[in-house]
Amino acid sequence: MASPIYSTIFKRNSVFVPTVFLAAFSFSIGFDMVTSAWWDSHNRGKQWKDIRSKYIEQEE
Amino acid sequence: MSLSITRINVLPSTRTLASGVPFANKINHSLPPQAHGHGHSAGPRTDSPPTWAQKLSGSVSVLHVNTLPNTLVFSRSFSTSSRSSAQSGSAVGGISHHATTSQRHGPTGVPDFTPYRASDTSSNRTLSYFMVGALGALGASAAKSTVSDVLSNMAASADVLALAKIEVELGAIPEGKNLIVKWRGKPVFIRHRTSDEIDEANAVDVKTLRDPQTDDDRVKKPEWLVMLGVCTHLGCVPIGEAGDYGGWFCPCHGSHYDISGRIRRGPAPLNLEIPEYDFVEDDAKLLIG
Repeated sequence: MASPIYSTIFKRNSVFVPTVFLAAFSFSIGFDMVTSAWWDSHNRGKQWKDIRSKYIEQEE
Repeated sequence: MSLSITRINVLPSTRTLASGVPFANKINHSLPPQAHGHGHSAGPRTDSPPTWAQKLSGSVSVLHVNTLPNTLVFSRSFSTSSRSSAQSGSAVGGISHHATTSQRHGPTGVPDFTPYRASDTSSNRTLSYFMVGALGALGASAAKSTVSDVLSNMAASADVLALAKIEVELGAIPEGKNLIVKWRGKPVFIRHRTSDEIDEANAVDVKTLRDPQTDDDRVKKPEWLVMLGVCTHLGCVPIGEAGDYGGWFCPCHGSHYDISGRIRRGPAPLNLEIPEYDFVEDDAKLLIG
């Protein structure tokens, strides 16, 4: 009757709360990765890590 | 005669007495005293007709009895599209006969909510728990980000960290010479010790010292002595290769340090302090900090 998601995760609080914290942990990592990837693609060619090779090779 | 009472509405009373009986003006809730005379006094409410009252003969049919609420001010606002309830509301205090009422509302008077009910309640329950958990996860993530941002705001910035470390070329210091470099506003003594000086530093009986430290405790490599050039007495800068013990001598109040930087004579209480340092690039450079 009850769905498998309910019976595995939500039924016991001892499973529910760690699942929430684990989801928060993985969400923050994923969120940071996605937003910084978007930022890098939005500023492509402007950041130091993109243009570093031009200047470092010329000095040496 | 057949009297059939389909429905009696007793509208909500405003409060409940301590005995659990709803308090209602002008309605007698009391039980009939000694209704049938064999002990127990429990019985039906006297304000509603008992079931045996239906056995009366006759053709009167009471479909609907409305009793007013017992508040002084009658103000209840609700909206409904039901035509029958709008009509029954107009029949204040009276007995109204509506054939459609029992069809729409059923025998209990509660509207039929079957079209609005979920066919599967377990999926609703799963969705509710999921929303609760998702809110908790988002909140925990936001709290964690806030705390870590505040903490990283308090940490030293990159330019401060860059100034906090210095590199010293060790090849430029010949054996038996001192180099004084400035690190975080303070002088740092670097001495390239000869093997004689190392032996001299190791020969000292540690138990006789004011601040007992072996030479191994004070150096990472015996030939390189790195220490903070601030006298532990009052913070003067000692003079190198001076004093009675072949090490450093503080001119301010006459503290003598030996070749390992340990206090031997004078007012200073402690040995010269050792900063954090490391040898990098195959011991060609010294990284202080």
